[in-house]
Formats: sequence, structure tokens, C-alpha cells
Amino acid sequence: MNYIPITDQDEKDMLALLGLKNIEELFTHVPAKLNRDLALGEPLSELELKKHLQELSEKNNVLKYFRGAGSYLHYVPSAINHLILRGEFFTAYTPYQPEVSQGTLQAIYEFQTLICALTGMDVANASMYDVATAAAESMLLARSENERNEVVIANPLNPQYLEVLKTYAASCGFVLHEGISKLTDKTSCVIVQQPSYHGSIEDLKQFSDKIHEKGAMLAVIITDPTSLAIIEPPGSFGADIVVGDLQCFGNGLNFGGPSGGFMAVKKQFIKKIPGRLCGMTNDDKGNTGFILTLQAREQHIRREKATSNICTNQALNALASTIYLSLLGKTGLRNVAMKSYHNAHKLQKLLEVSGFKLVDGSKPLSAGQKNADNICHETRDKSFYNEFLVETPVPVKNLNAKLQDHGFLGGVEVAENKWLLCCTEMLDDKDIEKFVETVKSVK
Amino acid sequence: MTMPKLIFEYDTKNTNHVPTVNEKLDLPEHLIRKDLTIPDINEVDVIRHFTELSKRNYGVDNGFYPLGSCTMKYNPRINEDVARLNGFGNLHPLAGDENSQGVLELMYNLEHILSEVTGMDAVSLQPAAGAHGEVTCCMIARKYFGKSRNKVIIPDSAHGTNPASAAMCGFEIVEVKTNAKGGVDIDELRSKVDSNTAMFMLTNPSTLGLFEENIVEINKILHDAGALTYCDGANMNAMMGITRPGDQGFDMMHLNLHKTFSTPHGGGGPGAGPICVKKHLAKYLPVPRAVKHGDGYKFEYNYPDSIGKVKGFFGNVGMLVRAYAYAKAYGKNLTKVSQIAVLSANYIMRSLDKYYHLPYNKTCAHECVFSGEKQAAKGVHTMDIAKRLLDYGFHAPTIYFPLIVKEAIMIEPTESESKATLDSFIETMKKIAHEVETQPELLHNAPTTTPVGRLDGVKAARQPNLRYEPVCRIC
Repeated sequence: MNYIPITDQDEKDMLALLGLKNIEELFTHVPAKLNRDLALGEPLSELELKKHLQELSEKNNVLKYFRGAGSYLHYVPSAINHLILRGEFFTAYTPYQPEVSQGTLQAIYEFQTLICALTGMDVANASMYDVATAAAESMLLARSENERNEVVIANPLNPQYLEVLKTYAASCGFVLHEGISKLTDKTSCVIVQQPSYHGSIEDLKQFSDKIHEKGAMLAVIITDPTSLAIIEPPGSFGADIVVGDLQCFGNGLNFGGPSGGFMAVKKQFIKKIPGRLCGMTNDDKGNTGFILTLQAREQHIRREKATSNICTNQALNALASTIYLSLLGKTGLRNVAMKSYHNAHKLQKLLEVSGFKLVDGSKPLSAGQKNADNICHETRDKSFYNEFLVETPVPVKNLNAKLQDHGFLGGVEVAENKWLLCCTEMLDDKDIEKFVETVKSVK
Repeated sequence: MTMPKLIFEYDTKNTNHVPTVNEKLDLPEHLIRKDLTIPDINEVDVIRHFTELSKRNYGVDNGFYPLGSCTMKYNPRINEDVARLNGFGNLHPLAGDENSQGVLELMYNLEHILSEVTGMDAVSLQPAAGAHGEVTCCMIARKYFGKSRNKVIIPDSAHGTNPASAAMCGFEIVEVKTNAKGGVDIDELRSKVDSNTAMFMLTNPSTLGLFEENIVEINKILHDAGALTYCDGANMNAMMGITRPGDQGFDMMHLNLHKTFSTPHGGGGPGAGPICVKKHLAKYLPVPRAVKHGDGYKFEYNYPDSIGKVKGFFGNVGMLVRAYAYAKAYGKNLTKVSQIAVLSANYIMRSLDKYYHLPYNKTCAHECVFSGEKQAAKGVHTMDIAKRLLDYGFHAPTIYFPLIVKEAIMIEPTESESKATLDSFIETMKKIAHEVETQPELLHNAPTTTPVGRLDGVKAARQPNLRYEPVCRIC
């Protein structure tokens, strides 16, 4: 393939204007020249390329998923791809020239509004890389606000996120503690996953007051943001920072990326939020328009004093999410959430009858989180959304192996006999019944 | 032109993309959400709304997009199709190695392609964007030195992300000046390198669009002091098959797959910012890494010295699929990509150097940097020139960067533009230079053909309006 429109004659003419005989003369001054062909083989035609990628893709197995753990297969309406594949959107870059970027900018403004409306927060940015890095950025934000560097992980956290937090902590100078009993007046922020990695919906009202009494900030990680259609949003119980992933909002699975993260904060942290913000203003003739704003926070202006190094984010994924939420509306989003909720609860009840006991997902299990307390034991009664943890009568390994033979991807093996299962609206009664039947056949 | 409605101003019947559920929730009452304020809009209205927005946007598909430092090249459509194949698009990241052999093979092979192109020994595909790759390299430097070294040296011409990334890892930033020839001031560099220097971060070719002619010596100065060197690979599109950062002596670098390897910029991402390192730093790379295992592949986590994970799961894998397809499409001909990118930049530079001041008058790499100071002396600034280009149907170049060039105009044509397009841009730039002399008001008033005119940035910052209030219940 060749996406270079310059012809051999053009090349000669252009070299002539430069007074050069051949193209190599453009590089005479370049040190450490390679002076050989790249060992990358012959070029492929589009036909060959398509066959090759098709073959590779077929070496992957797409199954029926009863697994979430940070990646949730929700329905992606057809219209999304048709819209995001408009070249005006996906072949554009950061809207630094607002006069020719009003489409991207208005979509960002709409996205920011949607995230505020869903989370109950005041200000949302244009997007982050993903929820894990957004959570890491929330530690940076909290430190810049209260100049403390201790972070408390309050409840069972997705290991994907925990690992990223540990990396950032080691490099950026944070001390991570696990367990709310570690909350002190040195704590910068407390991170809570809602629902917890093990599925439980946390009741955070009193908890939030306790954190603020210590002068710390509360950062909430939303596990699957479709849950916000039916669960009270973090903004209503005093969260300072809310982060989540856009994967569930019209972005598919993609083997974990690209998805996109969101971050929303209370108004008083507007100058501390990382990343891009789009604001409404007007032009010289009074027309309403949009522009990137409050850029004095950002790296291209502030360099080493910026709130973050983030530049390119996940704009097209945020656009897909904006379109997703527009298409589904409150009615559709609520149906997604209700169906996911009811499928999971149906599965849990059927399994319970077969001896799979529901585990309190607010409590820590692993050695790594043994010091964590149950943060809201007073009010919750094993409430969960679309993901839950069960104790299995047979090893999880055996269950998952059998399920794979029947075309299912079973839950995550959290421990030898602890199984994290997930349902979304993509499953129907038949899937769930067949799944349970298969599970029951494992001795 | 009046602005399109906001999506919040529609109210039409829901399309029912998913089945209706009328069952009750068995949750404590106070945990149940009472109000959801996002509107219901029928699909036809959604399609028209976003189609209208797209018409108020400009992408590479609309025309020439010479945004320096961003490599706005053509985005092949086949890459969009293959990334959406069922086996890639619908694959769960925790499907397990046995269900992910195709994507593991692709990642393994892409790492080797990037190693060959950069002359490095090992690669991590995990970082989500260029700046994310930079900070990952800073984390490696932090892990390598612990707290024993605390200084990172960065030229004054660097992207803002370089100092911002190093600062995130607690390094002290020391700036080194650019010399009159547009290269690193070696004497000043020597005077600043000491036993506290952890790393030198250099963009090569530089943001002035110039190959660093002393790069081998520069790397030696740093290595003699026991420091690491990092190449900001944003400008790799100038070097493929010509010279490799690994051979120039760098220890590590990042790549922007959304620049050099044609993955679409998406209006500001998603990108992908793989990092490539020499052997002695491979053990620090993020986990997991895709490795060969018997006849197949697997994710290996067992690297005790790794800095850990920098992103959830494995990176922006969908972008990796696109970049892999692009690299396979060209194979060894990637060299031609860089040759033509450099030829096109020099062609523009030499066609316009009588009209615009060229602060560094020498052969450029894949981009050329002019100064609008000649025009500024007449009261017309680079901003005006950029806005006038919009009126002529082009995207503007990068402006006012690098910071060390007054009134900077940074033009990067890439290899994917025809000579006719380049000529038309050149003629327009000449015409604008003439307008500066004869009708400066055309530039001061520009743009006039775009959906909106120049926007009031001061108002946007002083009275921030970042959301549509009626939809948000808590203020």
C-alpha cells in the first residue's frame, strides 16, 4: 500500500527547486544513518492486509460474557459508528483553532454537561485516558489542594486500578494505605470504588462526613457508569472528585482500550482539574460559540507547573459517549441499568439455590487488602448492581473451564472458591438458564 | 451563522434501542436515584444534530492540515475496518491468553516492528498517548536512580509535556538553551550536567524541525556522567529508515502512533504512546508484556523490577491494531514515508523563504518553522495569518510554538499531500503575505467564512460556562 500521492515526476521537480539531485541529499547532515533497508518485509496490498488481519482476529475467541471486572459489554447502538466515522470528527485534532472546530467543541461541552448531570458534580473535563489513570490523577489533584501525600483505599478496588495507583504512588511520591482505619489527619484523599470491585453498592453519606472532618478529600471511582441511571450519584453525598470509564457508554470492549476516562469535581477545584475544559463564549459578532478555556492549568502553558502532563486524551471516545447518551436518553439508559441489574439478580438467585453463597462485596478478601474495613456495614444488606461475588462449592477453575466449552466466559477467579460474576443487558433469560445449567453440571 | 441547538434542547420520543424493563429495584430507598435529567431524543434527531456539528469541524479529510508537531497525515480507512473486526472489537480484556492469541501475536509483532524502526531493544505498548509515554519513561528513570539523582535537563524548545511529565515524578527541571544554529548549546549542556543529573529529554528532530547534528556527542556527554537520555519521538515521521534514536545513543523514547503510524487523532485522542528502550532498561518496562510461549503467546507479569502498570488492561489496543495495519501496509517502504515528508517540508520552506522570515536557514526535517516577525512589524501577527488561512480553506499551522521563535509558524505537511495541494498552500501563503502589505484589514478581520468568528477567550476564562445549567441539579 502507498498513501503518498507525490509522483516520481513531482519528486524530481521538488528536488530541482531545492537544487538537489536525489532525495538522499536531504539527509547528508543527519548523524547515525541507518544505510540499509528496514527489515520489515515487503509492503502489503489492502486485500492482503485485510486477509492477514482477519486471520489474526479469528485467533481470538469472542464468547458470551459473564465477566466484567472493569470491562462491561453493553449494547452499542449502530448510529454511533456511523457518526464517529464522519471524517470531520475522527480526522481532526485538538480544537486549537476554535473557528473550524465548533463541532468537536460543542460535543465536548455537551459531554461535560452529561457527566455533571450523571455524577451530580459541578465541573467535568473533556476526558482522561481511562478510569485507572483518572484515579491516579485524582491523587495529584488532592495533593495540590491539601499538600498531603497519603492516600487511603477504602474498599475492595479493581486490581487493574490498584496496580496503576501503586505505580503512580511509587513514582510521584504518594503513600498508599489500604483500609479506612488508616484515615488520619495526614490523609490527602480517600478512594472508594462504587460499587466495590466485589460488587457491593456502598452507602457513603456518613463515610463522606468522616473523611471531610479529617480535612481529606473523597474520590469516588464509578465501576460501571450505567449504574448512575438507578443509583444515587456521588455528588449527592459529598464526593469531591468522581472518576469513571467511558467504555460502558458506547465504546465496546476493544480488549480494554481505547475507552476513555472521565473526571468531575466540585466547583472549588476548577483550577486544579487536569486536562481540557471547553467553555461557552461568543465571537466578535455576538454569535455563541465554544473554546478551550482555563488553559493556564495545562502543560503547553504552565510546563513543569501544570496540574498534569495530559495533552491528547480520548476525545473520540468521549464523543461516542455523548452520542450514546443522546441516543439512549434517560429512558434507554435506565432500561440498560434495569436489565443489567435484573439479569444479575436473577443469576444470583438461581445460583444461590444451587449452593453458591453471596459474599459481602464490601469486605476485603485478599491479603493485600486485609486491613480494609467494611465501610458501610450499618445500612447495606448485600445490595449489588450488575456484578456480585459468590462462594463456589467447586473450584472456580473447573467452573470456568466447563463454561468455556459451552461458549461462555465465566466470572473472574478472585480466589480459589470466590467467583466474581457480571451480567449486562446483552444477556437474556435463555443465556442465564443455560449458564446455570452448565454450572450445575460441574462436580 | 446561528449555533445548532444543544442536545439538551431536544425532546422527542425515545427510540428504544434496548428492551423496556418495568420491574422494581430491590435496593434501600435512599440509594435509589430519583431523577435523571438527560433528555430523550429520537435517533433521527441525534443523527441530524451530530451531522450538523460535524459540518462545523475540519479534519484531514476536509483538506490540508499542516499542524506542526502533530503529523496530520491521511488516516487509511482499512485500519478502521480491521480494528472493528469481531475478534478485536468485541474481545474482553480478561478473556485469558488462550482466547486472545491473535491480539497477543499482533502486539508481539508490533513491538518488534517498533524496535526495528527505532533501533531499540524492547517495547511497551501500554501508554495511552505521547505524554503518557513520556511520564512512563520518567517513572523508569525514577526507578533506575531511586532518589540518588534529581535533575532532568530539557531544552527550551521542548514540548510542554516534557517538563510537566518530569515534574510529576518529582524531578527538578533545568533548562538548556538552543544555540544560534537551532541545536542544543553543547557548552551550556556540559556546564549543567553533573552527578545529580538523572535524564536529558530531547526532541529529535527538534521542535524547530531540525535534526540534532551533535546528537551522538550529546548522548555521550550524558552517559559519561552516568545519566539517561530520552528521545521525545513526536517527530519520528522524519526518521523512519533514515536514522534511529537507538543508533543515535538514546536509552529510551516514546512514539506517537497517532502521528507517525497514522492512527486518527479523533479530535484529541485516543492516541497511543508506546515506549521503546535499550536492553539495560527493559526490566523496568510496565507489565504485562506480550511474550512467546511454546507455539503461541502469553502475557508475562513476572518482572520484579518493573515500574508496574501505567494504564488499565493493556493500552489503547484498538489503536495498536490500526498502527500495525499501517506498518504492514508499508513494510520496508516506511523509509519512503519519511523521505517524502522531509522533501515536502523543505519544498514548502524554500518556496516561502522570501516571503516569511526563516530564523534557522538550513535544510529542515519533516517540518519548517517560520517567524511572522516581518509581518508583525507591519501590525499583522501570526494569529492573523493563521485565521486568514482558515478563510482560504486550510487548517492553520501550529502557531506561537516553539516558544523560542517569535511569532512562530510551524508547518508540517506530512507525506500524504499531493504536490498540487502543497502548491496551492504555498500560493495562498504568498497571497496572504501580499495582503499584509496591501489589505491588512482582511487579516485583522479573519476568519469571515467559518461558522463563527474569533471567539472571546477572555470571557470564557473569566466567566467559565462549562455546562448547560438546566440539566444539572446540583450547583
